[in-house]
Amino acid sequence: MIRRTEVDGVPTLISPTAGPMRAGLMFRVGRADETLPRAGITHLLEHLVLYPLGLADYHYNGTTAPVTTHFHMEGPEQEVAGFLSGVCKTLSDLPLHRLETEKAILRTEGSSRSSHVTEPMALWRYGARDHGLVSYPEWGLPMITPDDLRAWADSYFTRDNAVLWIAGREVPAGLTLHLPGGTRRPVPPASSTLPVTPAYFATDSQAVALDAVVRSRTTASVFAGVLERELFRGLRQEGGLSYVASADYNPRGDGHAVITALADALPEKQDAVLGGFIDILAKLRVGRIEQADIDAVVTRKSGALDNDESSAARLPSSAFALLTGDPHPSAEELAVELKSVTVGDVHEVALEALDSALLMVPDGRSADWAGFAQAPSRSSAAVTGATYRNLEGHDVRLVVGPEGASLVTARTMATVRYDQCAAVLGWPDGRRLMIGHDAVTVAVEPTMFAGARAALPVIDAAVPAHLRVVMPARDPSAIPQPDPAAHRRTGNPRPGDISTPWSIAGIAMLVVVLLVVGGPTVALTAGLLNSPRPDSELWVMAGAGALLSAYLVYAVIKNIKRLRLRLP
Amino acid sequence: MPAMPAMPAAPTQPPPTFDAADAYPELHRLRAALAALDWAGARAVVDAAAEPAGRTLLIRAAGDREGIEPFLRGVLARDPDDAVAGSLLGGHLVLEAWKVRTSAEAQYVSAERFRGFHEQLRRAEQVFIDAAARNPAELSIWCQRLISARGLELGLSEVRRRYDRLAAYDPHHLPAQYQLLQSLCPKWSGTWEQMHTFAHECMLAAPKGAPNAVLVVTGHLERWLDDDSGRYLATPFARNEIYEAAARSVWDPSFRHGPGWVAVRNTFAMAFSLLDDHAAAAAQFAALGRFGTEDPWHYLGEPAAEFTKRRALAYAKGGPR
Repeated sequence: MIRRTEVDGVPTLISPTAGPMRAGLMFRVGRADETLPRAGITHLLEHLVLYPLGLADYHYNGTTAPVTTHFHMEGPEQEVAGFLSGVCKTLSDLPLHRLETEKAILRTEGSSRSSHVTEPMALWRYGARDHGLVSYPEWGLPMITPDDLRAWADSYFTRDNAVLWIAGREVPAGLTLHLPGGTRRPVPPASSTLPVTPAYFATDSQAVALDAVVRSRTTASVFAGVLERELFRGLRQEGGLSYVASADYNPRGDGHAVITALADALPEKQDAVLGGFIDILAKLRVGRIEQADIDAVVTRKSGALDNDESSAARLPSSAFALLTGDPHPSAEELAVELKSVTVGDVHEVALEALDSALLMVPDGRSADWAGFAQAPSRSSAAVTGATYRNLEGHDVRLVVGPEGASLVTARTMATVRYDQCAAVLGWPDGRRLMIGHDAVTVAVEPTMFAGARAALPVIDAAVPAHLRVVMPARDPSAIPQPDPAAHRRTGNPRPGDISTPWSIAGIAMLVVVLLVVGGPTVALTAGLLNSPRPDSELWVMAGAGALLSAYLVYAVIKNIKRLRLRLP
Repeated sequence: MPAMPAMPAAPTQPPPTFDAADAYPELHRLRAALAALDWAGARAVVDAAAEPAGRTLLIRAAGDREGIEPFLRGVLARDPDDAVAGSLLGGHLVLEAWKVRTSAEAQYVSAERFRGFHEQLRRAEQVFIDAAARNPAELSIWCQRLISARGLELGLSEVRRRYDRLAAYDPHHLPAQYQLLQSLCPKWSGTWEQMHTFAHECMLAAPKGAPNAVLVVTGHLERWLDDDSGRYLATPFARNEIYEAAARSVWDPSFRHGPGWVAVRNTFAMAFSLLDDHAAAAAQFAALGRFGTEDPWHYLGEPAAEFTKRRALAYAKGGPR
C-alpha cells in the first residue's frame, strides 16, 4: 500500500519496508531536456550536488536519466534525512569552486565508460535533440558556466518539479526540503528523423537490436516479456546463435514506452542472428503468440506484486509516473490487469511495436529484404557556395555557403544548414564539426581541403553563439595532414588510361618485344634504303614495324612513369 | 570433358521429355486446377502428396505459371494462413526474379538487371517471411527460402539457419539438401570440403535405398564443372564416392520411384556417362525411359540433345537395350 503525503510542498509517496529505510528525491529533468551545445549540464549539476555529501558511509547515489534526475539513499533514518536535506541545501548553494574538477571527472567518466550497444538507436530515431541526446557524448561540458548551472537549477530543481518517495514507516525526523517554487515541467515532445518505419540502420556492433515505441500500458510490458522469451528460446536455446537475447520495457514519460530488444552474435553467426531475429518479429506480427509465454510473464510480474515489500519496491516507478503524469495502476489494479491479458491484446501491441520499429543490424548487412526501409544517414541536397577540393585528391568536396555546409562526393552528400543546426564544435586547430538536427554531421578539416581556412569565419559568423562549443586542443598527431603519396595514388586517371600500371616484369617483357620488333624493322629499312629496286610490300612491312615500335616505346615510357608513381 | 564421337540416336528410342508433369501426373492435375483458378482443387492435389518431398516438388514446379500472382494474392487475402498459397506465391516470385536476372554468370549480368532481380527477390522473401511465420512446419517454404537467401546474399550462416529450421521437421528433405549443397559450393559462399562433407553426411544419415545419396554425385559434378582439366571425375576420390552413392541409392533393391526419382537417375546417368561406364549409364537410361530433367544435362549443353546423345552412346557401348 502506497500512502500519499507532502513534505515542504514536495509530493511524497510512502510505503513500509521491513529493511532499512530507503528514500529518493526525483526531479523531472534529464538529458532529453538539454540541448547538444549544453549536453551534460544535468549530470554536471548532479555531481556538484553530491560532492559536499560525498564522505558518508552509507549507500547513496545520483542518477541522470533521459527525463529524470534521482538522488537516492539507503540507511538509518537520520542519515537519510540528512542526505536529502543536504541535496536541497546544496542545490541553492552549489560548490562552484569544484566546477572544473567535476568537469574533468565527467570527461574521464565519459571516455572510460563502455557505451551500451543500443546507445546509437536514440540518435537514429530522434536526431540530435531531445530524446536523441542520450546517444551523444556530454559535449557541452566545456561551455557550461556557473550562471548556466544556477539557471538550470532554478528552472528544473523546484519543489513543484519533484517527487519524494520513502520506503519506511514515516517521514524521517529532521527532513527539510528547502526548494524554490516553480512549475511541473512536461516531458519534451519526441522529435523524429525517420520518414518511414519500420526502418533499419547498420553499425559496427556485432549485434541485432530493436527499438520500438508503443503507448504505455501493462499489456505492452507483457509483450516485451514475451518477445524476450521468444528471442532467448529461438536464438540462444534452439539456435545457439546468441549469448545475450533480451528485451525490456521503459516508459518514456510522455504516455509512450520504448521497447528495446537485443541479441548479440559471434562474427560468423551475424547473418543467422539477423535472420532469426526477423523471423521471431514476424511470428509475433502474424499473431502466433504462445499462451505459455504470456502465462510465464504474467506469473513472474504478478509474483513481484504479491509480497510485503512489493509496494516499497514499486516506489521509484510510482514517483516517475507521478512526476510525468504517466498512468500508474496500484498493485491491486496491476494484478487484475495482468491476469486479464490475452493473446489478442499482446498481438495488438506487437503490431504497434513493429509498425514503429527501428532495427539495428551488423555492419555490411541490410534489412530491406525484410521490408525495413533504410533510415536516412545522408542529406538529399547540398548547399551552394565556395567549393574546396580535397588535398589528397579524394572524390569529396567541401562546400560552404550562406545557408550551410556540405560534403559532396559523386554519390552521396552530407549537409548541415545553419537554420537546422544543433551544434558546431570548434577546435583551436580550425576543425569544425557541424551537427544537424537530423544527426547528419559535416566535419570541416581545414588541413585537408585547399584554402578551406577561409571558410571558418563564414561558418562561425553564421552559427549563433549559443550553438557553438569551443573544444579543448587536440593532440597534434590527431590533426590530419594530407599525404602527398595518397594524392598521387588517387590521381585522377584520364579516360582510356591503363587502369593498373604494369609490373617491372611486364615492362621488361615490353622491352623484349620492342627489341624483337624494332631490330628487324631497322635492319629492313636500312636494307630497303640501300636497295636499287625496293619491293613496295616490304616498305609496308617496314612502316607497320615502325608504327608498332613507336607504340611500344610509348607504352614502355608510360608504364615506367606510372610505376614510379606507385613506388613509395 | 572427354571427346565425344558423333553417334546417331538409336531410332527405336523415344525423344525425351523434360516436362515434370509427364513423370508426375499429379503435377498435371495441379496445373489444370490452377489454370481453372480452382483453389480447392489445387489444395486437394497438394494435400494428397504422401511425402513432404512430393509436396515441395509439386509446389515448386507449379510456381512457373505466368500471371498467377493476382490469383494467389486473392487466396491469401481470404486466408492469410494458407501455407500452400504463400509457398506457391513466394516460389512464383522467385522464378520471376530469376527471369529478370537470367542464368548467366554474375559477371555477365548488368547492374540494372541485378537491381530488378533483387527487388523481385525482396518481394518474394517478404511473402516467405509471412508464410513461414504462420506455417513453420511447411517445408516447401523453408526449402524455397534457401533459394531466396542465396539470391539476396544473406550469408551462409542464415542459409544454414533456415535449413536447420526445416531439418527439425524432416532431416532427409532432399530438395532442401540440394539447395544447401549449392550454397556450400565455392561459387556461392562455401568450400569444396564443406560441400562434400555435407553431401556425405546426408547420404549416410538417410536410410539405404533413399535418394539422398545423389547429393554426393551432384557435388562431384559441380566440382568437375569447375575443373578445367576435365579429369576430375576420374580421380579415385570422386569415382569411388559416386559408386558408393549408387550402391546406397539407385542400385539398392529398396530404391523406389518416389518424388524426385527422375532427377536422381538423370544425375547418375550423366555421371556414369562422363566416367565412360556406359553399362551403368544404360541401366539408368533404361529405368528412365523418356523422362529427363534439365538439371544436370544443361551443364553439358542443350539438355535434350545431350540426353539423346549420351543415351545412344550408352546403349551402343553399354549393352543391348
